[in-house]
Amino acid sequence: MSDASGATSGVTAMGRFLANLREIPKTFRESLVRGGAPTTDRTRSSFVFGNVFLHLHAVRTHRWSLRWSTTAGLGIMSVAAFLITLITGVLLMFYYKPYPDAAYVSIKDLHFVVPTGRFIRNIHRWAANVMVVAVLLHMARVFFTGAYRKPREFNWLVGMGLLAITLGLSFTGYLLPWDQLAYWAITIGANIAQSPREVTDALKITEYFDPGGLQRLLLLGSSDVGEEALIRFFLLHVMILPLALVALLGVHMWRVRKDGGIARPDDADARLGPPPADTYPVFTEAPQKTYQIAAIVKGKTPAVGKGPENTVPSMPHLFYAEMGVFMLTVLICTALALVSDAPLKELANPNVPENPAKAPWYFLGLQELVAYSAFMGGIGIPSIVLLGLGLIPYLDREKEGTGLWFGGPGGVPLVLLSTVYGFGTAFALEAFAIRFGWIREWWPDVPQLVITAINPGTVLTALYAGFSIWAVKRWGSTRAGALALFTCFLCGFILLTVVGQHFRGPNWVFYWSPSEWPGH
Amino acid sequence: MKKNKHLLLWSSLGVLALLVVAAVQENFFKEWRRHQLRADSLAEHGIDVRLRQVVVPSLNVMDRCVSCHVGMAPGEPAIAGDKVLGAHKPVVHDPAEFGCTVCHGGQGRATERADAHGDARHWPEPMIPAKYAEAGCGTCHTHIEVPNYELVLRGEKLVERYDCLSCHALDGRGGTLRPLAAATVTSPDLTYVGVRGYDAQWYEKHVAKRAASPDGPWHASFGDIPEMDREALRVLLDSRVGTPRLVEAKALFHTLGCRGCHKIGGVGGEDGPDLTREGEKDPGLADFTHVPGPRSLESWFKAHFRAPATVVPGSKMPEFSLTEEQIDLLTLYMFSLRRSDLPEAYWPKDRIRVVRFGASEFSRDGETLYGTFCASCHGAAGEGMRFAGMTAFPAIASEGFLALASDRFIAETIRKGRPGRRMAAWGHANGLTDEEVGKVVAHLRALGNGVMPAAPDDLAERLGGEKARGAALYAEHCTGCHGKTGEGGEGTALNNSVLLATATDRYMAETIRLGRPGTSMPTFGMASTVRPALASDEIAAIVAHIRTWEVTR
Repeated sequence: MSDASGATSGVTAMGRFLANLREIPKTFRESLVRGGAPTTDRTRSSFVFGNVFLHLHAVRTHRWSLRWSTTAGLGIMSVAAFLITLITGVLLMFYYKPYPDAAYVSIKDLHFVVPTGRFIRNIHRWAANVMVVAVLLHMARVFFTGAYRKPREFNWLVGMGLLAITLGLSFTGYLLPWDQLAYWAITIGANIAQSPREVTDALKITEYFDPGGLQRLLLLGSSDVGEEALIRFFLLHVMILPLALVALLGVHMWRVRKDGGIARPDDADARLGPPPADTYPVFTEAPQKTYQIAAIVKGKTPAVGKGPENTVPSMPHLFYAEMGVFMLTVLICTALALVSDAPLKELANPNVPENPAKAPWYFLGLQELVAYSAFMGGIGIPSIVLLGLGLIPYLDREKEGTGLWFGGPGGVPLVLLSTVYGFGTAFALEAFAIRFGWIREWWPDVPQLVITAINPGTVLTALYAGFSIWAVKRWGSTRAGALALFTCFLCGFILLTVVGQHFRGPNWVFYWSPSEWPGH
Repeated sequence: MKKNKHLLLWSSLGVLALLVVAAVQENFFKEWRRHQLRADSLAEHGIDVRLRQVVVPSLNVMDRCVSCHVGMAPGEPAIAGDKVLGAHKPVVHDPAEFGCTVCHGGQGRATERADAHGDARHWPEPMIPAKYAEAGCGTCHTHIEVPNYELVLRGEKLVERYDCLSCHALDGRGGTLRPLAAATVTSPDLTYVGVRGYDAQWYEKHVAKRAASPDGPWHASFGDIPEMDREALRVLLDSRVGTPRLVEAKALFHTLGCRGCHKIGGVGGEDGPDLTREGEKDPGLADFTHVPGPRSLESWFKAHFRAPATVVPGSKMPEFSLTEEQIDLLTLYMFSLRRSDLPEAYWPKDRIRVVRFGASEFSRDGETLYGTFCASCHGAAGEGMRFAGMTAFPAIASEGFLALASDRFIAETIRKGRPGRRMAAWGHANGLTDEEVGKVVAHLRALGNGVMPAAPDDLAERLGGEKARGAALYAEHCTGCHGKTGEGGEGTALNNSVLLATATDRYMAETIRLGRPGTSMPTFGMASTVRPALASDEIAAIVAHIRTWEVTR
């Protein structure tokens, strides 16, 4: 031990120890955020790129992206809802037992016995629904602002994958309580998966080629919904799909940044005008580091070829917005959880079918179509829709209206017209089919393939397609056709979902209200 | 930026407020806390306010009911007269040893009233309604022994008539006079006397005591009891096991012929659903479409007893004219059919006796046997029944029938039934022994004033009618009711193999000649306004025609 230093500074080792102890909060803070407090442009930047989670964001964000009307926060809301389901889901897993009957009892225990179990389960259920809604609305937002266009085509496809995983997560979670609702909803879902049989049966080739049966078998792991299906759904729900979602979500958000941030019109700066007085000033201090890092990246990054005048540091502007939306989502989910309990019906009973057995709400539009033709409703039309959605960014190569709500040829009037047309035709077809029946009721001996080809679902699809082609010709623009088609399908989806949810009773018969169902 | 800050601030505050609300709800506004605070203020030394439970691992019981009903928790003070905090009624079984849900049903782990009582929607085992609480005994005491219903009722009346209640307590009544208190001899409470046993010489001892005291209460309140009444009192005392209503309900059940169609514990007919576990039926799986009143098993049972086919479309169960009191008792009995899968160590004696040693859970006298298996179709007095939409059930105690039917014929019919008709065969292993069949026959004879057939019972005897002529006469007179080939219709099926094998020619001929009063079968031996009387040889011809359907082997 050298007592020279101690002697020169006049401080004992013990004194240094105590001083270090006192300074722990400060040194810990410094070690946590190495660049120092985010008070200057430079430290704000390093706050973002020095953090493993935050560096998915650009260090600066365009003011256009921060306007509420640009995104309505829907993307973040989807992520927030996912995080909520993740946390609550892990908590639920402490009590859940993925085995028939035991599963039901464990959910009953969660509901009635486990402290805060009911609350957590309610939050989980509501967050799941919020997530589905937010993802669908986010997709609509991206479409209507033309944000799928070059250079964001691929990210649109990634987004479609995320939509599919979101629905898959929600659907697999539906079975886990193992009650009547779950059991029969999943039975319906499995039957939808089996719907190609309608065609193979009609062609009398099911014996040799049975993709429908195979799909159902893969989904359920058995001929019926049973313990195999439950463990499969459980594994998909708690492991495979969440992992896939996280991976794809990383790609999705990273691509948002790499594809040039949130889409905005070319004249966004002009539209925004000068920044308001309370915005953090830009380059208030002499930059100690140039933005060369941005220049390395190819393509339309926010910083290339433009001054950073209309961007603001992501820390704190973007993070306040994101935190705000996150907390708003938590608020919505907890409020709904306090008001409304997640459903739990009787123990699953394979001998007593629920009538009506309904799929989860977001599949009720499909179930409505399945009621007309299992193949078209379950496979045909969804495939057409998915294919159409995927192709949109590659067919619409226009530039006009990117970043603006309902931008592009046709604009708001076309969307309004499409809304009227979309709801009108779907309503008229449903009303007709409910009032007068369909081909099978008129000529009972018609071959099934005729009905597979001609049913309210396919007729509606054809009407929408025709309208879209008309829009392409009328405005001389692919974007106009896409606007028309997307709006129509959105309206059709909403209308069919509402009909399936509210107006269909036992045996899928039309009722004005569930209170009129027999047996209540 | 400012907007976003506000968004963050207000959403966060909102979440915080909601979490506080949820936390307060979850922790402080629990109902049981309120009850315990009340108990704390009412009890002399107060109580600890905390979650309480009765845990019985061997019964898989973990009942938190005592968190609200804290007076029933082991070692806690009860607040007398309080509906929630009061003590448990005195029962044989200590709630601390058995828990609560074993007897009462409901959800033991829940801590809120609606959940715990099973009023929450889709709870599969709601609590047994308080007024049917005795049904809970059925969980373990699945085979409570019940005596003849008439004897129980008579015994209850006799207890009143002989003024037993002035000294003895029974089922919570009586025992107030206690005339012997001065002599430091208490008159025993008779409520559980069927379990605890009693001195078989009680009557003789009572008489001796009266003789010993020339005056005073012994002399004033005890009189002679004739042998017959003593027998009824014995039956009553044997049945006093602490559940008088359940015993009465079960005894009533065994007078209405329900087991003629329904199996319970493997004994009974097969026309109706097995009732072994009827009381633990999940109300969520019952159809309440046509059940008025609240969605409860009680409403369902009652509506079903009033009009079975209305509640269960297509039901073959007839509409009995039951009084409200009877419906109430039967509902109680339905609730008691629970049969929980208990560890055998918990099986009571009565259950072991029946399940392991094949004893009977109901009295095996002729009257009770008839009441158990026959009365629903043939009527309590064998008068036959007619229900809308069903062929009439024959009056088997009518003197006309009994004057023709030999004991052998009736017994064979009971043993073998009538294939193709609703009359089941009762001679099987779980049905009636030959001795019991004999008792039922004897009971029928008693119902029919002891009428016996005059003619000899000779199966081989043939009246020797002309078949061809008989066919024509049959077609003219009989097909309307009995069908072209005797397949039956409004009338009974005549081509029935068991009938043809058991009925003598003379029985058939006499039945045709005399008809069957009380049924559609007319008196063919006498002329009516629309047809002449059939002569003996014509009747013999018809019988010969009927005989042609007999399968000869």
